[in-house]
Amino acid sequence: MPEWGRTTLEMIVQDLQRPVQLDESFERRVMVRVRRFYAQRRRRMRGWLAVGASITHHPAWTAAVAAGIVAVATLGVMSVHPRTASGGVIEPTTFVLVAPTARSVAVVGDFNNWGLDDSALVATSNQGVWSVTASVPVGVHRYAFVVNGVNGKQWMADPTAPRSSGDDFGMPSSALVVEDSTK
Amino acid sequence: MSKRTTRSLMMVAALASASVTSANAQDPRVLPRLDAPSRAAIAAVVDSAKAQGIPVEPLYDKVNEGVVKGADGPHIVVAVRNLALDLATAHRALGALATADEIKAAASAMHAGVPAVELGKLKKQSGLRRSLTLPFTVLADIVSRGVPVSTAANAIRSLVGAGAKDKDINDFQRNVKVDIEQGAPPAAAAETRAKGAAKPDKPDQIDQ
Repeated sequence: MPEWGRTTLEMIVQDLQRPVQLDESFERRVMVRVRRFYAQRRRRMRGWLAVGASITHHPAWTAAVAAGIVAVATLGVMSVHPRTASGGVIEPTTFVLVAPTARSVAVVGDFNNWGLDDSALVATSNQGVWSVTASVPVGVHRYAFVVNGVNGKQWMADPTAPRSSGDDFGMPSSALVVEDSTK
Repeated sequence: MSKRTTRSLMMVAALASASVTSANAQDPRVLPRLDAPSRAAIAAVVDSAKAQGIPVEPLYDKVNEGVVKGADGPHIVVAVRNLALDLATAHRALGALATADEIKAAASAMHAGVPAVELGKLKKQSGLRRSLTLPFTVLADIVSRGVPVSTAANAIRSLVGAGAKDKDINDFQRNVKVDIEQGAPPAAAAETRAKGAAKPDKPDQIDQ
């Protein structure tokens, strides 16, 4: 969500969360409305239409319902799973490679255009255990490690992952199935 | 200028903008990196794939991969054509219920040597009850490690038929890989591990 949208939403929520000032006769008037509502419902058997009419006639009810709707909508927006621009769900995925002699390790795959335009994921080393976590769209992917070691740059499949069979260009790659954790 | 004229001009501008966007949607990131004949050949493959309802993203991914790996244009075109053929065959074998990911994984299994008919049988067996993306991926993996196609297909079929979860299938792949690396014959490793992993979970939910 853009920053301006978040700020506006927060302002609306704050405004709606402010305590509503009620006069002393509020409870009595609400109960009158409730009794009238159920009486009408029993008589006419038109429950749903009656609800709409009652709510719109009373400002306090309207404010409460609006606050509820906004709160539910806000919670819904804030808990939405991360998605790609095209609407696909993305999941955090960690890539790990043990390469004690490597000078640098990067991850390239179909989820980052195979590192075109400097999009490779650069891993960090913890005593030769290289890792990087990235948001990867749910689905099946192919990827490889590009290891910069003593013999220069080398493409490596992930030794812990299934092999990918589509090596048309003579360099190994691995298969990755990212599952939707919301399902 | 009248309101109607202004509105018409705006609609024309919007349509023109949309058509430019559509033309660029072929993938401005990749195609300019290729020579003109290869670009034209790939555009034709992509158009044909679209007409058949085949997912085209894997085709663009293949172009990207070839470019990054330093392959020349004609080599990339051949790879993209082969992938499009595999995707089309997989699409036909799996039927209309298959997802784009299943088709992609099935194409990968076919590339490893699994006949489309075996993949179709698996899809028919599982229907909509489970995604076969991971089973197809594991099938391709174990075949590439030397497990005979029929043994590998039987193993995956027994796992799926027994209601194995994706975690079980991942474990199966890992175990078969380790067994083969430790010197076990690939067929024996797959058969034995499949027996161990194929514990019926909810057999009433699986078509037999």
